[in-house]
Amino acid sequence: MTNYILKRLGQGLLTVFLTVSTVFILIRLAPGDPAVSYAGPLATTEQLAKVREQFGLDRPVLEQYWIFLQQLFTGNLGTSYSFQAPAMQVVAERMPYTLTLATASILLTAVVAIPLGVWMSRRPDTNRELGVNVLTIAGQSMPDFWTGIMLLTGFAVLIPLFPASGFATWGGLVLPTVTIAILQIALISRMVRREMTANFAAPFLTVARSRGVRNSVLTWRYAMGNSAIPVFTALGTRFAAMLNGVVVVEVVFAWPGVGSLIVRALETRDYPLIQATVLLTALLAVAVQLVIDLAYPLLDPRVRLGKAATA
Amino acid sequence: MSLDTAPPAEVPADMPPARTPSPSAVTKELIAKAGATRRRKAAQWKLRIGAVCTLIVIIPILLAQLLPLPDANHQDLSARRLPPLMDGHLFGTDQLGRDLLSRVLHGGQVSLTIGILAVVVSGAIGIILGAAAGYFGGWVDTVVSRILEAQMSLPLLMMLLLVVALFGPSIPVITFVIAIAQWPEVARLTRSMVLVEREKPYVSAARILGLHRIQILIQHIIPNVIKQATLVVLLLLAQAVLLESALSFLGAGPQRPFATWGRIISDGQDYITTSWWMVTLPGLVIVLMVVGVNLLGDGLRDRPRRKKKGA
Repeated sequence: MTNYILKRLGQGLLTVFLTVSTVFILIRLAPGDPAVSYAGPLATTEQLAKVREQFGLDRPVLEQYWIFLQQLFTGNLGTSYSFQAPAMQVVAERMPYTLTLATASILLTAVVAIPLGVWMSRRPDTNRELGVNVLTIAGQSMPDFWTGIMLLTGFAVLIPLFPASGFATWGGLVLPTVTIAILQIALISRMVRREMTANFAAPFLTVARSRGVRNSVLTWRYAMGNSAIPVFTALGTRFAAMLNGVVVVEVVFAWPGVGSLIVRALETRDYPLIQATVLLTALLAVAVQLVIDLAYPLLDPRVRLGKAATA
Repeated sequence: MSLDTAPPAEVPADMPPARTPSPSAVTKELIAKAGATRRRKAAQWKLRIGAVCTLIVIIPILLAQLLPLPDANHQDLSARRLPPLMDGHLFGTDQLGRDLLSRVLHGGQVSLTIGILAVVVSGAIGIILGAAAGYFGGWVDTVVSRILEAQMSLPLLMMLLLVVALFGPSIPVITFVIAIAQWPEVARLTRSMVLVEREKPYVSAARILGLHRIQILIQHIIPNVIKQATLVVLLLLAQAVLLESALSFLGAGPQRPFATWGRIISDGQDYITTSWWMVTLPGLVIVLMVVGVNLLGDGLRDRPRRKKKGA
C-alpha cells in the first residue's frame, strides 16, 4: 500500500516535472519578447536591455533552465512581470476561487447526472428517453462560452437575479456553476447510462432479478455498485481538469480564478506567472488523480491497490 | 392482432385473434416493444434528425460564395446593428454594419476546414500509432501508452492556448493543436480493437502464408477496424468545431480571411444587451451543427450492422 502510494507519487511528480519543462521550452521557442510587452512599445534599446538583465532573459537558455530548476525546488518561481509580486503568491491567491467553482460544479453535476443517467438506463430507447437523450446531446454540443453569455443575459441582465460577474456574493457562483454543469451533466449522464445499460444486460443481474431482488436494490446496489468506479473516475477526472482553470467560463464571468489568470499571463508573456500557474495546477491535478486511485478499494472491495496487472 | 408470421390460409379472417393457431407467441406488438427494435428505431431517428441539422448548416456554408450575400468583410457604418430580417439582412448586421449571416457562413468555412483537417490528421495519427501499439506490443506499445497517459494528465486547454498564443493564431497552428488534442481518443480505441483482431485465426493464417507483419497489419487488420475508428472520428469533428470556437472566443483563433464563429460571438458580446442577435444567432448555428454531427455519430454507432450482400 505504502509502496503503491510512493510509486504513484513518484510518477505524478515526474509528470509535473515534464509538464513544466515542456512549458519552459515552449515559451522560449516561441517568437515574441517579454521585455517588449513589459517595457512597452516605446522603450529604448537600453531600457529593453535593462529589463532583460533584470529578469535574467539575457542569459543562455540552458542557464535560464538551470536557474528555473533551482527555483522549482525552492518553490520560488520569481517575480511576475505584470503583478510585481511573487508569481507563486499571485497564483495561490487565485486558486481558492477556481477550487470553489470546480467543487460547486462537480457537486451539481454528480447530483443531477447520476440519477438522470440511471433514469435513462431504466427505460432505454423509449420515446421519453429518446427526448432526454437528444437533450443531453444538445447539452454537450453547446459551446460553454455561448451558454455562459446566454445565461448571463437572461438571468443577470434581463431578469437581474444574479450578479453578472466576479465573486462578491455567493449568488455570483450560481451562473458560472450552471454553465459548467450543463456540459458536464450531459457527458456524465450519458456515461452513466452506457455503464448501467451494460450492467442491466449482464447475467448476474438476471440472476438477481429472478431471485426476487427488489428493483431499487437491483438498480442502486447491484448495477450501480458495479459502475461506481468508472463513474467516480469520470467525475474525478473532470474535477482534476477543472482545476487547470475553467478558462472559458472564468473569462466570460470575469471570475477571479486561475483560468482567467493564465489568459492574462499569456497575453503579457509573463514567463514566471505562466510557469507558476502550470506548476501549481499540474500539482493539484496529480494530487486529485492520486486521491481518486486511493478511493478505488472503498468503492469496490475487489480492488487491491498495486496488485492490478494493468494500469 | 396480427401475427409476425402469416397465419395459415385456411384460418377464417373473422376468427378471434386470441384463438388463432400461432406458430409463435411472439406478436408484432411484442417485437415492436423489444429492446432491439426500439434501439434500431431510436438510431434511425437520431440519424434523421442529425442529418437534417447538419445539412441545414453545412449546405449554406458550402454555397456561401454562390449565395446572393453581401461581402462578409464589407463594412457599412450607416447600417450598423440592424436587427434580423431588416434591409435584406437575414441575421441582421454587426457593430460595423457587416452582414451577420455572411460572416457566419464565411467564418463557418474556416471553422469547418480547420475541424475536418484536424480530424483527418488526428485520425491518421491515432489509427497508425494505435494499430502499431496494439499489433506490435512490446516497446512500441509502452512508448505509445506512456505518451497517451502523459497527455491525459496535461492541462489540455491551457497547453493549447499556450501554443496558439506563442506561435500565433494561424490556421495550420490551430489545426495542428486540435489534432494533437484529439489523437489519443482514436489511438486508444484502435489499440484496443487491434488487440482483439490480432488473436483471430485469419491473422495466423496470413502469417503462415508468409505475409510480412506490416503487410498483415495494413492489408488485413486495419481494414477490419477502420470502420469503427472512423465513427469516433465523426464524433471528434463535433469536438473539434467546439474547441476551435472556444480558442477563437479567447482571441486565439484565425483572423484571416474571415473571423470564425467563436470570434464573431466574442465580438458581439459587448452589444448583447442592445443587439441580442449578434451572439445568439451564431451560437445557435454552432449548436445546430454540432448537435447534428453528434446525433449522426450516435445513430451510426447504435445502428445495427447491415447484413452483408447475399447473406
